[in-house]
Amino acid sequence: MERAMERHGEPIDGSAGRAAVAPSRRASPSPRFAMRSLLVACVASALIGFGLSTTALADGLDDVRARGVLRWGADEEGGGPYVYADPNDRSRRIGFEVELADLIASRLGVRAEFRQGQWDKLPDLVQRGDIDIVLNGYEWTPAWAERFGTSIPYYVYELQLLARSGDGTLSDWSDLKAPSERGKRRIAVLGGSAAQAYLEQNHADSVELVLFDGVTDAMRAVELNADGIDATLQDLPIAVFFADGFPGLARVGDPVGRGFYTILVKKSDRRLLAAINDAILAALRDGSLRAVLSNYGLWNETQRMRGLEMDADGGFQPGTVRADGAAEVREYEPLRGWRVLSDRGPLLIRAAGITVLLSCLAMPLAVLIGLTMALTRLFGPKWPGRVAALYVEVVRGTPLVLQLYVIFFLLPEMGISINALWAAVIGLAVNYSAYEAEIYRAGMLAIPKGQMEAALALGMPRWLALRRVIVPQATRIVIPPVTNDFIALFKDTAVCSVITVVELSKEYYIHARSTGSVLELGVLTALLYLAMSYPLAMLTGWLERRLRRERTL
Amino acid sequence: MIRIRELKKRYAGHDVLRGITLGVAPGEVSVLLGPSGGGKSTLLRAINGLDTFDEGVIEVGDLRLTPEPTAERAATLLRIRRRVGMVFQQFNLFPHRTVLQNIIEAPVHVLRKPVDEAVAEARRLLDRVGMLAKSDAMPMNLSGGQQQRVAIARALAMNPEVMLFDEPTSALDPRTTAEVIGVIADLASAGQTMIVVTHAMGFARNVAHQVHIMHEGRIAESGPPARIFESPETTVTRDFLREALP
Repeated sequence: MERAMERHGEPIDGSAGRAAVAPSRRASPSPRFAMRSLLVACVASALIGFGLSTTALADGLDDVRARGVLRWGADEEGGGPYVYADPNDRSRRIGFEVELADLIASRLGVRAEFRQGQWDKLPDLVQRGDIDIVLNGYEWTPAWAERFGTSIPYYVYELQLLARSGDGTLSDWSDLKAPSERGKRRIAVLGGSAAQAYLEQNHADSVELVLFDGVTDAMRAVELNADGIDATLQDLPIAVFFADGFPGLARVGDPVGRGFYTILVKKSDRRLLAAINDAILAALRDGSLRAVLSNYGLWNETQRMRGLEMDADGGFQPGTVRADGAAEVREYEPLRGWRVLSDRGPLLIRAAGITVLLSCLAMPLAVLIGLTMALTRLFGPKWPGRVAALYVEVVRGTPLVLQLYVIFFLLPEMGISINALWAAVIGLAVNYSAYEAEIYRAGMLAIPKGQMEAALALGMPRWLALRRVIVPQATRIVIPPVTNDFIALFKDTAVCSVITVVELSKEYYIHARSTGSVLELGVLTALLYLAMSYPLAMLTGWLERRLRRERTL
Repeated sequence: MIRIRELKKRYAGHDVLRGITLGVAPGEVSVLLGPSGGGKSTLLRAINGLDTFDEGVIEVGDLRLTPEPTAERAATLLRIRRRVGMVFQQFNLFPHRTVLQNIIEAPVHVLRKPVDEAVAEARRLLDRVGMLAKSDAMPMNLSGGQQQRVAIARALAMNPEVMLFDEPTSALDPRTTAEVIGVIADLASAGQTMIVVTHAMGFARNVAHQVHIMHEGRIAESGPPARIFESPETTVTRDFLREALP
């Protein structure tokens, strides 16, 4: 009973047999909180305005020098060879970008300080001023150059196709054109990466892309043939670094899609950008950059060819080096306003369909499993009851992300093949079933003991009494909290992007990043979520009113 | 009809039943009287298995119930419950179903009677307890006396050989008590075998064939009401009657 309360903040009344509709902790912030945020925002913008008027020519470089620290942002989750924990000393971070950051910082006369950030949110952190630079394998694209200061490249990357070493059907790029027996080839790529852009540009007709958030996830998926994934296109440094870690993978064909790793700084920090460019150039001339890259097996002939031209803002402009990658050749047009809505809106609406599909498949399953667990716990034999209790505690005590991971990656390892959508449905259903079990348990405890006794006295076997008398009454009690959880589940589907299911939130990130239209698409996405959850809220209200009438008619 | 021998029950370190032996003949109305906590309700609930017991035997017709928790006991209980109806102090109607649905629930789902047959029988029973007009009402919207009359009809719908009444009027006010007592008395005069736990002394005196005075888990005295009320033989009975009768 207590545990059910813990989640919903308020107890479900156990004695009177009434439904206590408790608010979920996922409820939206109170109006008072919103007012306070607004106030804070007003004060903050006033302060910023004041700051701008007094230091109009401020540049990030001055702040870095004054601080004596260059805050560089990267995502350690991306791992080697970029930034990762030293295998010999876990408290230390190593990687070619760590050494490069130290190199650049020392040229600026300051100390480099690592700041952890989620990879796809790093540019936002620069924009917000949490970090000075992004130094984490960001590929130069016109889109980035539009919104950020982009340094001259510190590494010229290429893309390497990796497949299972035993897979004779896929040993060269030309094999991608030939479909496997299951249809189009499924290729894993990092969402929003140059590899994704390259394949969309050059192989859109013959391959189907599966988007991952982590490079090792993508490689593991290939090795396990999870979800029918045959190959992955990775940045060459990753292919080199993980060659030993994924012995089941083999390089296929020559590297393709040349591009550039660039450092991102705030657009207005021109002097900081110039100083970083100077530092990279100097490191290139005196061989220290070569030394850093060589430490990780990354130096190759390609690195000798450098693009040295800069645009008017001091940003890198690829000109002298012919890049044959997709992202560079493609014309970049920033999309804003109504155009982005008509261009990307349909994609968001389609992704909202995936969100609805996930929720509508997962929730009934969750309720069914939850009800079974609650019945086992309350009315079942001793040991199954304990197992059910343990199930609830384990599932409720572990994060959804972890559960999705286990289902998506562990089941194929045990020889059970499962596609991403079903893995997501099962993950969500399992996760929510623990909560539904507790809601149902509380609901059934709220039913007076006399109901079961009356049913038994009429000669009903226990299961019939549960089916005809107890569960129908408990269902009436739990409808409001269960609907509440349904709304929460709608939003939790966003987590499924870690196992490559592109639902509404992920689709939003993808297009917000590629068009720079954070606001317009953000509003549309929010409206779509509202359009999905509002009818449910109405339904809850209607059910509550109906049930109240039933009781007092 | 019902034979109980040497029934004993301990609960929470307390002897609730200390060896009860009791018989109820077909068509007999037995009333259990006595101060609260004497074990009357426990005895009644042991007969249809809502409470367990530790020693002794209960026989309902040819069915024999012993304390050992075996699969056979569970099967026997199901058969006993189909022959023995029960009416509770708190009525315990199913609040999510109408009056009529409450009554046909068990005949349809336990006895597998066709629905129209069950409905016809239910309407006859509702008429008998004076509740036909409320067939489609929800239990929550009925008075206590009305609910109890529906509960009696619900138990009768299983065509039980014996009816158990567990303080059927204790949750009612005096006026509705009379309604319900009237219904039970009608049943008694129609020859329904029943065991009634009650504090309604008038009912015991006027309707019962046998009265049993229970005290501290034992039957202190048994006999026809005229003898028990006019010339009680034990001090327990005398004390109880002095307290209970105005």
